[in-house]
Amino acid sequence: MSDAFWTVVWTFNYIVLGYFIVLHVVYLGTSLFAFRALRAYALRLKSLDLTDLITSAWAPPITLIAPAYNEEATCVESVRSLLTLEYPDYEILVVNDGSKDATVERLKEAFNLYEASRVPTAELESAEVRRIFRSRRHPNLWVIDKENGGKADALNAGLNHCQTPLFCAMDADSLLEPEALIRIVRPFLEDADTIAAGGVLRIANGCTVRQGRVVDVRLPKKLLPRLQVLEYLRAFLAGRMGWDALDATLVISGAFGIFKRDVVVSAGGYSTDTVGEDMELVVRMHRYCRENEIPYRIHFVPDPVAWTECPESLAVLGRQRDRWQRGLFQSLLRHRVMLLNPRYGRAGMVAFPYFFFLEMLGPVIEFLGYFSFTVTILSGRADWPFVIAFLCVAMVLGVALSLAAVALEELSFRRYPRMSDLLALFTLTLIENFGYRQLSAWWRLKGTVSALRGKEGWGHMVRTGFNVEAEEGAP
Amino acid sequence: MNPVSDSALALVSLIVVAILVIAILFSLYAILLRVGHSRREALQAELQDRWEGPVLSAIADPARVSDVHPLVPQRYRMHFVQFVLDYARRVRGAERRTLRRLVEPYLDEIAERTQHPRAEVRTRAVQTLGTLGLPKYSKEVLAGLEDPSPLVSMVSARYLARPEFPEFGPALMDHLDRFEGWNRFFLASMLAAMGPEVSPVLRDGLVDGAQPPWLRAVYAEALRMQVDARSADPAVEALSTVGEQRDLAASLLRLLAAVGRPEHVDAVRPLCNGGAEIVRAQSFHALGMLGDERELPLLFAGMEDDSPWAALHAARGAREAGGATLLREMAHEEGDRARLAGQVLFEEEGA
Repeated sequence: MSDAFWTVVWTFNYIVLGYFIVLHVVYLGTSLFAFRALRAYALRLKSLDLTDLITSAWAPPITLIAPAYNEEATCVESVRSLLTLEYPDYEILVVNDGSKDATVERLKEAFNLYEASRVPTAELESAEVRRIFRSRRHPNLWVIDKENGGKADALNAGLNHCQTPLFCAMDADSLLEPEALIRIVRPFLEDADTIAAGGVLRIANGCTVRQGRVVDVRLPKKLLPRLQVLEYLRAFLAGRMGWDALDATLVISGAFGIFKRDVVVSAGGYSTDTVGEDMELVVRMHRYCRENEIPYRIHFVPDPVAWTECPESLAVLGRQRDRWQRGLFQSLLRHRVMLLNPRYGRAGMVAFPYFFFLEMLGPVIEFLGYFSFTVTILSGRADWPFVIAFLCVAMVLGVALSLAAVALEELSFRRYPRMSDLLALFTLTLIENFGYRQLSAWWRLKGTVSALRGKEGWGHMVRTGFNVEAEEGAP
Repeated sequence: MNPVSDSALALVSLIVVAILVIAILFSLYAILLRVGHSRREALQAELQDRWEGPVLSAIADPARVSDVHPLVPQRYRMHFVQFVLDYARRVRGAERRTLRRLVEPYLDEIAERTQHPRAEVRTRAVQTLGTLGLPKYSKEVLAGLEDPSPLVSMVSARYLARPEFPEFGPALMDHLDRFEGWNRFFLASMLAAMGPEVSPVLRDGLVDGAQPPWLRAVYAEALRMQVDARSADPAVEALSTVGEQRDLAASLLRLLAAVGRPEHVDAVRPLCNGGAEIVRAQSFHALGMLGDERELPLLFAGMEDDSPWAALHAARGAREAGGATLLREMAHEEGDRARLAGQVLFEEEGA
């Protein structure tokens, strides 16, 4: 083969090496920031009785907006859980997004709903609202029944009917911890410039749920969900905490985030033409506030928790990751004007380039690198000791970063109380390097390709249901 | 790959070893944290078992307070204070006083911690003294208002703002500029919690044009929370000088809606047209609360406001001003106004 070809191959090899080093330096950097921030936060929690502070004073009213699509199996349990939240003043808007099953009927039956009137207070575009119901038993529970339009469309319908200064966007099948609202609202009290705050998602597979509450936290029994537990710890405790410490939060999970209603409405509400509406909204809020010179802060809060069920099969997990990657791609491309643009502060100069070059383009670089690396090895031009040393660095760095996330969990919240769970997490930091990481990279590449090809839609998500403990007296 | 030199290979190997060491350190750190926490939890459970009965007995019979102190070894004094603090948060009155007596011998040590270099330790100390040490340790808690850490000053303010200690009101009011970044309603609720003793100061602040608008808005909200009837006239006076300060105007209108009298509608009416959405909405609300049928034309016109918020407030105002019958007729028509009328009637009358 020609010299030019080998020049290209070697260049790719070095690009991959550079990408790899930069990526892990960023990971390590955010982990270190997270260490510092979480340690301070844990001490702060110890030194301050948040519940006392908030419940004894004014707490801003909040509307929980929970879009539901074909949730007949879980909606009643989820709404019951929402009704037991410990917060002085909140409303629940369940938005039935044109379900084809009996979601609305189940809710009507369980909560004694009657048709009610509620005029919109905003005019965000959304599919037609068919009927609105209110519960006789729980006057703070409303159900909006609308034509199908997707999650973002349902959130917009909920926002149109939201009458409180704050709203909480969540998944109808997530379980919020009783104190979650009290904890997540704190930044809004301490800093009037706060426009959004995100909480932590934790995996409920394997945990025991009683009356809508997670009462016994355990690691899932199956390997795939277990690996996702580790992944979530890394993403939330090391990643998002680190970005928050840098004041450059660019992502708030759609399953649990709280926002200032007026800012979201002014910024245009949720975008219905992306599958990453949660990230797109946060990026747009950064942009909107910067462009309109509105002082603002977006926070990540590490102790309010929403429990969610994660995929248990490779096929479903692959579809989920494909969607996440498409959402990332669409959000970043739409707001590419922010890239390395000082007008957008740290969001534009630090967080955006990280997500753009390392998270969005990363899978492409990684796979081109795998290709050129393979070619180099097959041609016999590889320097084997160096290849082996490089692979060792890759693996040990991955393990170290995962262990750092486990240590962060121990430093802060210790949700997995058994020593066996801790040891299992240690083991997972090794196991995930053999297949899981590569699969993740492959799904992300597929997601990038799907985004480039203009694929739309969420893909079918199969849920197995929470491990619900039978109530006393039940057969 | 390009053939690499031995030195590059040695460097990579060194990196591998270094990261390996870091990984092992992370694991050890996590294990040590787990072991440390488990031990602490076990110790706390043991101490709780030891103290719970005697402390409950002392609460029931304060003469037995002195029986408890011998059960608190020197090295566990701070654990004891923490234990009592957890109880103290749940009780008031005589029971709280008994708990104060229980920890009294240990509070000097807590007071020293208000000088600790770490803000979190100072916060904890101020919180403990605020709960169990007032008024004796008021000097330390008041000093917290000037602490460089916002966390300490926030906790200090929260514990000083209590109706049983009106004497701290002036000091707290003097430090309000430290809390500019706080949520306005949160700050107002803190001031309102101090009780009617501070109302005259709040009323004076309301009409003081030299005060920053955000602070005057906080005063207005605090007076509203106190339902202070005497603040209606100062609110009208302040309203005439708000200019472009829409948040202040909105707070004053909310206050007027809560405590105003019919003669105040003249001050409200001009604000229903033009201006910011929030000001129009609160004007309609105040007009409805203070006015009567004579205000209905303005309120019905408000139901056509471009802002759905302002329109909703106008409809509610119309209902409050005695327009229910007309709203019922309107509800049978077609269009947005009919829907609004239907909603506000529904809010009052239910299904």
